[in-house]
Amino acid sequence: MTDTANLEALRSEVRSFLEAEKPTDWRDASRTQEDFVQTQRDWFARLVQAGYAIPHWPKEFPGGGRSLAEQKVIYEELAKADCPRLLLSFVSTYHAFATLHECASEAQKAQYMPRILEGETWCQGFSEPGAGSDLAALKCKAVREVRDGQEVYVVNGQKIWSTMAQFADMCLLLVRTSSEGVKQAGITYLLMDMKTPGVSVSPIHQIQGDEEFAEIFLDNVVIPVEQRVGEEGKGWAVAQATLASERGLTLMELSYRMRGALSRVASLIREHGREQDRGVLRDFGALVNEVDAVCAIADQFLDNRIKGLERIGDASIVKNSYSRALRAYSKLGVRLGGIDEQYVKPITFGDLNTGNWMADFMNSYAWSIAGGSEEVQRNIIAERMLEMPREPKNWVL
Amino acid sequence: MIELNELTDAAQKAFPADKLSPARDASWELTAEMGWMMVRLPEDDGGLGLDREASTAIHFEMGRVLSCAPLIPAQLGLQAVIASQTLAERADWLERLSAGEYAPLHMLPANVDVAADGTVSGTVGGVLEGDMAVAVVAKLPTGYALIPTDAEGVELIERPVWDPSRRLFDLVLTGYAPDPALMLSDAEGAAALHDILGPEAHLALAADCLGGATAALALTVEYLGMRKQFDRPLAMFQALKHRVADMKIRITTAEALLWSRARDPQAARLQIAGLKALATDVYQFVTEEMIQLHGGIGLTEEHQCHLFMKRAMLNLQLCGSLDWLNERVGAEALAALS
Repeated sequence: MTDTANLEALRSEVRSFLEAEKPTDWRDASRTQEDFVQTQRDWFARLVQAGYAIPHWPKEFPGGGRSLAEQKVIYEELAKADCPRLLLSFVSTYHAFATLHECASEAQKAQYMPRILEGETWCQGFSEPGAGSDLAALKCKAVREVRDGQEVYVVNGQKIWSTMAQFADMCLLLVRTSSEGVKQAGITYLLMDMKTPGVSVSPIHQIQGDEEFAEIFLDNVVIPVEQRVGEEGKGWAVAQATLASERGLTLMELSYRMRGALSRVASLIREHGREQDRGVLRDFGALVNEVDAVCAIADQFLDNRIKGLERIGDASIVKNSYSRALRAYSKLGVRLGGIDEQYVKPITFGDLNTGNWMADFMNSYAWSIAGGSEEVQRNIIAERMLEMPREPKNWVL
Repeated sequence: MIELNELTDAAQKAFPADKLSPARDASWELTAEMGWMMVRLPEDDGGLGLDREASTAIHFEMGRVLSCAPLIPAQLGLQAVIASQTLAERADWLERLSAGEYAPLHMLPANVDVAADGTVSGTVGGVLEGDMAVAVVAKLPTGYALIPTDAEGVELIERPVWDPSRRLFDLVLTGYAPDPALMLSDAEGAAALHDILGPEAHLALAADCLGGATAALALTVEYLGMRKQFDRPLAMFQALKHRVADMKIRITTAEALLWSRARDPQAARLQIAGLKALATDVYQFVTEEMIQLHGGIGLTEEHQCHLFMKRAMLNLQLCGSLDWLNERVGAEALAALS
């Protein structure tokens, strides 16, 4: 009972903070990438100050040391209050944090963790043009040399799909230090300053006009050996810590936000005078059911994690259910909006349910492709949950 | 207090997964012996007084084995009696029904007229296993009524259905004079009673669907692992694996909604109606895939695939069709979001 009482006390505390402080004009203030980034920096700083930005960090950091149940309460309230999602700082507070916390040296932790709270942002240099779903096939090459008496890696290659890399101060970089043995064995994990000479970033223009991702080109980039996390050739294990850093909170938050955004579909139905259209009501009803179910599975996933009952594949189910519902949601909007949705309207950065239906529809692919495509998730579900056999690995064209 | 997993374990022991659609009458006796008709009966009335989650767990298990015993309409009939404020011999009926006498709620609409003399004529649809029934709980224009099946002007006519795990009957009334002592509500009270029974019916059917879908998936995975073509098990082909993964995704997600609704005493009527719509849709999808993924054997009567598909198709129509429920949910959500 005390647990429940504590959680409810936290909930009302977060609620009163949000009632007083939540930004209401953030969508209007996010019509350009630069403005969006500024609203993100402001809101992150405000949440750090209030103690709600890093509930999952250890308790020596202000606002840290929260249980998963408490984290869930905070995210639920942020979603219900329709606050901006913390996108710009996501990689730094989750991926960089988990990597530093679990695998880095004390010196590295002391150097980087406080800077994250001051607003330093990180990006992830994992995927490459030839290494997407098959991440371990990455080729970005690092050669160990001595330069000016210092041991360094000289890195050459290209990274892609790095979220917000054009605004990042630091990069979590996977490089290949050896081509011997299995492909996972030759991977090394480095922390790279984005201002290092030889690093150039080029934003990727997405089909809806957003620039959420970027390419990173590395041309003889010199990175001191001290910037390595873990041993040389053991970077794959470190990368698993990075990728496992956030499990469930984001999808719960996004599901709740989608449920809140069903009002946008309702408005659209009224704007177009379709309130009596039984076919439209059916489709809307089916969508409401689907979104409710996604909220339920996202909730269940987190509750199981809180109880230590998470199984392999559970996260894949939540992700595919969410991406499927998000596609259905935005597609219904496009359909109901008719020709109006084919006229270009300004997009809103940093939101998946903006009511600019074509943009939302196009943006929904970010969830069916990024972070492990739907197809990769299906393989995990079939092979690791349902124990269906893997396909033979060796084949000849 | 009985734990949920004890109920589930007992159900799985009594109705093992490898015996699909066990014989109806023996199953019904076993159901009564297990005390399942007591599960939702309040403690004050001599029952176990358990909540929706408990009955949902049982219906899930009965769905898993395609049970022929009509536990769902029986529970609904019992609940109508429990909720009744007008039934003369309520305590007596409760005792009889919880001991295994069968008075089902009908699960398809009634189309009846009341004559000037108060007699009723027409058809009450969807009486499951009507041949077992001592009475039927029917929604008449004058209110809910217990209609004894041996009363004058009452006839049960079987309407053969594709689903072999169920028998459906029409209750045909010809100048039937309702017994005032057997009225469960008046016309005004009927709406309130309907609002109590509707969510119970939808929750139970959703559980039946998802239990069945879970079994259908397990059988499909097993078959694909066993059947070899091109020198490998079919389960190795990614084209098939992905379809199976989608079955798993949709079942698991709908099941999360099932338990969340079953555990929420505040769940609104249409939230549970929406669950029923979703669960029947998922069951239909899963059984369709099941047949296709089984190939030729899936088309044969000797294999079990068709049993699941036929039950899924019937569930789609009981207590509100998919289209009708979705339309209601959509209209309600639209009104709520204005």
